[in-house]
Amino acid sequence: MRPIDGGRIVQPALTVSAEDARSTRPRKPLPLSFLLAGIAVLGAVIYLVYANTQANAVYYMTVSELKHCSVCTTQAVRVAGVVQAGSVVRDEQKQLITFVIVDGNQTLPVTYSGVVPDIFRPGIQVVVEGYYTKVSPFLAQTLLAKCPSKFQSATPVNQ
Amino acid sequence: MYFSDLGTVSLILALGFALYTMIVAVIGAMRNQPQLVASAQRSVLAVTFFLILASAALIISFLTHDFGVSYVAQHSNLAMPWYFTAAAFYGGQEGSLLYWALTLSLFSAIFVFTAKRAPVVLIPYVVATLMGIETFFLIMLTTVSNPFVRILAPSDGNGLNPLLMDPGMLVHPPMLLMGYMSFSVPFAFAVAAMVTGNLSSDWLRSIRRWTLAAWSIQTTGLVLGAWWAYHVLGWGGYWGWDPVENAALLPWLTATAFLHSTMVQERRGMLKVWNRALVILSFALSIFGTFEVRSGVISSVHSFAYSDVGSYFLVFLAIVIVFSTGLFLFRLPKLHAEQEFDSVISREGVFLLNNLLLVGMAFATLWGTIFPLISAVIRRQTMTVGPPFYDQVIGPLLAVLILAMGVGPLLAWRRTSSAALWRNLGVPTIIAAVCAAVLPLAGVTDILANIGFSLCAFTAAASLYELWRGMCVRHSHGEPYLLALYMLFNRYRQRYGGYVVHLGLVLLTVGVIGSHFFQIQQDALLKPGQDMNVAGFRLTYLGNLDTKEPDKEIITSQLQIWHDGQLQSYIYPGRTFYHNFDDQPASQISITTFGVTDLYVFLADWTGASQATIRVFINPLVPLVWYGGLLMLLGGILCWWPVRTKRAAVRVSQTSDVSRSQKSAGIESKGIVV
Repeated sequence: MRPIDGGRIVQPALTVSAEDARSTRPRKPLPLSFLLAGIAVLGAVIYLVYANTQANAVYYMTVSELKHCSVCTTQAVRVAGVVQAGSVVRDEQKQLITFVIVDGNQTLPVTYSGVVPDIFRPGIQVVVEGYYTKVSPFLAQTLLAKCPSKFQSATPVNQ
Repeated sequence: MYFSDLGTVSLILALGFALYTMIVAVIGAMRNQPQLVASAQRSVLAVTFFLILASAALIISFLTHDFGVSYVAQHSNLAMPWYFTAAAFYGGQEGSLLYWALTLSLFSAIFVFTAKRAPVVLIPYVVATLMGIETFFLIMLTTVSNPFVRILAPSDGNGLNPLLMDPGMLVHPPMLLMGYMSFSVPFAFAVAAMVTGNLSSDWLRSIRRWTLAAWSIQTTGLVLGAWWAYHVLGWGGYWGWDPVENAALLPWLTATAFLHSTMVQERRGMLKVWNRALVILSFALSIFGTFEVRSGVISSVHSFAYSDVGSYFLVFLAIVIVFSTGLFLFRLPKLHAEQEFDSVISREGVFLLNNLLLVGMAFATLWGTIFPLISAVIRRQTMTVGPPFYDQVIGPLLAVLILAMGVGPLLAWRRTSSAALWRNLGVPTIIAAVCAAVLPLAGVTDILANIGFSLCAFTAAASLYELWRGMCVRHSHGEPYLLALYMLFNRYRQRYGGYVVHLGLVLLTVGVIGSHFFQIQQDALLKPGQDMNVAGFRLTYLGNLDTKEPDKEIITSQLQIWHDGQLQSYIYPGRTFYHNFDDQPASQISITTFGVTDLYVFLADWTGASQATIRVFINPLVPLVWYGGLLMLLGGILCWWPVRTKRAAVRVSQTSDVSRSQKSAGIESKGIVV
């Protein structure tokens, strides 16, 4: 059998002793300290992922799903849609903008305050994140325009 | 006959040679016929030649504005400067796949030229694996994603997306794509090692340098991407945890883990299974990233041109995973650790911790990225997680990682006596404590930021202190300090290159903490003569300018920056409208750096000549992110740089390894029980 020679070049003495050790005594399981440390780290990672998923997950809904949503007054939700032509109204002084997004045959009025993305205009796809009370327009906290990225071909808006 | 026809023919020939290489290399290896293997190696060079030819054909088609080529017409126009026209080569899907294939063939050619350094039995399988990957790309390039498809030529092309008309375009995409691609070589080594059953550590020495190269390229690509986003997108940040960014980070994290755990295998013959898994995982994640970006299964703010290519990548990813997992399980019984773990408080203990943290980060990032899919399956409701999720998960893990980075190099292999540990940790601990005490006085009251800064201080101090002690030891043998420093880097390039990388990451982390906790944002609607005051800076708005050029129109606002009662400079944040991309203006962001603080000014909106909405971000410490990135790249290159090139490489690297480990026992590890 060909001896496994990793490390032999680097540290001859150690490898020889290790080979002796393997032939004379049975394989020792991983030391308890390693096991405990490993479990602690893995546990921490899993806890962090789990807890933060619970805390930060946001529903991603279609407009029709949103209309039947009962928890969306208190829980942030993301909705995607296309900005309807002629629906954009800007209030320069309060930096407020209202518009309607269309998703299939459903429409949803949205109000948003803040800086509007460069490429925002009727006809583009946007994602809004915020709260919805059914009686008033969707209160968006973030407005994301789908930005055509590096590999997009040249006429993104018409797609 | 057009250049594009030459391109198509070259691609088909390259595909033929790639298939030939794969088959002949494997047959040559199985029948033990060296002449077949040699033929396969030459055939790799043929593949490289034809891909260079195809790429040249595409670039010439661009530069000669041959709009009869659909891809050229879609991604360039007559008005673009020649360098963007040439860079449009990788500006779209077909071209970026050709670029992938080209760089892979170049790396394969480099491998062939340096093959005598690699273990002989591995060569045919490495070549076969590389050409297997190349075959996949060439099949796509010749069928569904051919950049040379001809159309009836329009009089002018569409031009490049305005966001891409930026110097970043010239450097970031080629780096990142090359980074993705370069994980192929370590993967090919791992496959070759498992196929041949040559499971010794020989291949690790070859693979480590290839991974170091991949790591350095990917680091550069990531930092350049962050820099580009910062200068172009106008939201004041450089990293948004977008699925597309995450996809690039994932293989980087696993490759970083591998670069550390491979040292444990080299020194102590342990973690063999783990190392192979990391190499395979890095490559699979780089393919996953490409798939995710192309397929549209995950909704991203970046929307790419979705096409069938995504499903091809999914099939390829499945093949890669099934094939390598199968090989892996087949060889698992032969992968014994040669030694056993002794103590957690040891170098290998910290390496294990580092690996768990990095893989944990990769897992968390992957989880967040594909969470919409997971939740759709489990809860029957699509949900997403945003940047807060990543900040809160990655933040604590990064903090522990930074701490481990400081402690690890101070520990000896196998076990460290607590006396030696405290002797090494004393100075850095005191410095960190001083930092923690002084920061609140300097105005840093945020407890998390303070912990972060202090951990960074600890690790920076530990790394620099190590360097200093190394210099002192050499100095006591009669070398002047500067020569001692040079000799340290010259002799123990990997070790000290590693410290440089660590210092770079610490610097980068300081920048991240600064911009995460202390960013100030302020908006103002201004008329000429009006001021806005932000964090000691006064901005006076003067009016809007409108510049008309043949292919574009630029609107800029003119502002003065006043600081300490002095006029510092005039700035012109604005917006560029390219005529053929009217609906997609590109922001001109004004970034002025004062020491380590960026004043980031964005023209949010304007009306006529005399009204503008200005958004200002004060971004403390962000320049450190770029300096840190540079330092990491420098460290990566230092680690990668060949030790000596004069004599036969394998012998040299072995003997120098021996002398290095003996010397390190003698001089370097003063006071540490090895």
